[in-house]
Amino acid sequence: METEMKPTPCGDACGTLPECAPLAVPYVPFQQTCSKKFSQNEALNHGTLFPGLDLPFRSKAAPANVVQNALNELQALEFVIVELGLYLDTHQSDAEAFALFQQYVEMERQAKEAYTAMYGPIVQTDAAQSKTYTWLKDPWPWNFQEGGDK
Amino acid sequence: MFIYEKKLQYPVKIKNCNPRLASVIISQYGGPDGELGASLRYLSQRYAMPYPELKGLLTDIGTEELGHLEMIGAIVHQLTRNLSEEQIKTAGFDTYFVDRTTGVYPTAASGFPWSAASMAVKGDVICDLSEDMAAEQKARVTYDNILRLSDDPDVNDVIRFLREREIVHFQRFGEAVRLAKDKMDQKNVYFTNPAFDK
Repeated sequence: METEMKPTPCGDACGTLPECAPLAVPYVPFQQTCSKKFSQNEALNHGTLFPGLDLPFRSKAAPANVVQNALNELQALEFVIVELGLYLDTHQSDAEAFALFQQYVEMERQAKEAYTAMYGPIVQTDAAQSKTYTWLKDPWPWNFQEGGDK
Repeated sequence: MFIYEKKLQYPVKIKNCNPRLASVIISQYGGPDGELGASLRYLSQRYAMPYPELKGLLTDIGTEELGHLEMIGAIVHQLTRNLSEEQIKTAGFDTYFVDRTTGVYPTAASGFPWSAASMAVKGDVICDLSEDMAAEQKARVTYDNILRLSDDPDVNDVIRFLREREIVHFQRFGEAVRLAKDKMDQKNVYFTNPAFDK
């Protein structure tokens, strides 16, 4: 596999291209390694960890301001893990990204432990740590009552 | 296997019901370029993939799309909570209501139920990845169009997030083509199909 990417002087919005692009195959430039990254809260607000990929439609609106409670903080950490995971699927030798992935997985583990202790199960087996079977407790994720949110 | 996590990938908190908007957004639940088709497309294509990067990417994006399906379901549900007798008569929603009440059913906004004919599994590496790139673009445009039709900020925040995910997925599928190509015949990537020919 020849996927080593030399560092390039391009800005973050520019990926790396080989010297000769192939004919008759769809071609998307590789995202370069060490791309700029948002913080986890900004990443969730923008829908991507990478400012170079943040390409909104007609957006006059300011980015969302999602992170307002403990659940949102957990969602932000998990979003970075999803985003880094997809990036690593196509950039498996990017050691810097993998180290960041390891850090976020550890942060998420701690945040999830604290969250489930306070608010109840995220996966069914979390309910085993409660005195009763708390898995069924409302609200389920698609329910939203104003003011009733944790 | 899959294990359910009792939370959404991104919060959905819609204060005002709006049946007209629900009848449009349902298309991303069960329409031709919706999240159900996206998840089934990727999770089905992965079996034929010969390279670990491609198996991983299709599994991971397919799984994320299932989370997006749940978010779209949550939007439709919240937009149709506690409807009045008058609201169920909203033009565009009345035809959904008569068949489904306020249940969430995988259908296109046009009324055509979800169909496997809206996705493809060809069992060829370049072909399936090209389909996936096109699929991400089609979903991106559907979200653009929803943003043109919606003026609810609670809905638009979520739609912008989902739309941005299509762009990131497009980038990853594009990179996947290049990773695949590097492992194939360098002079002619169409010489064989590595998903079938050994």
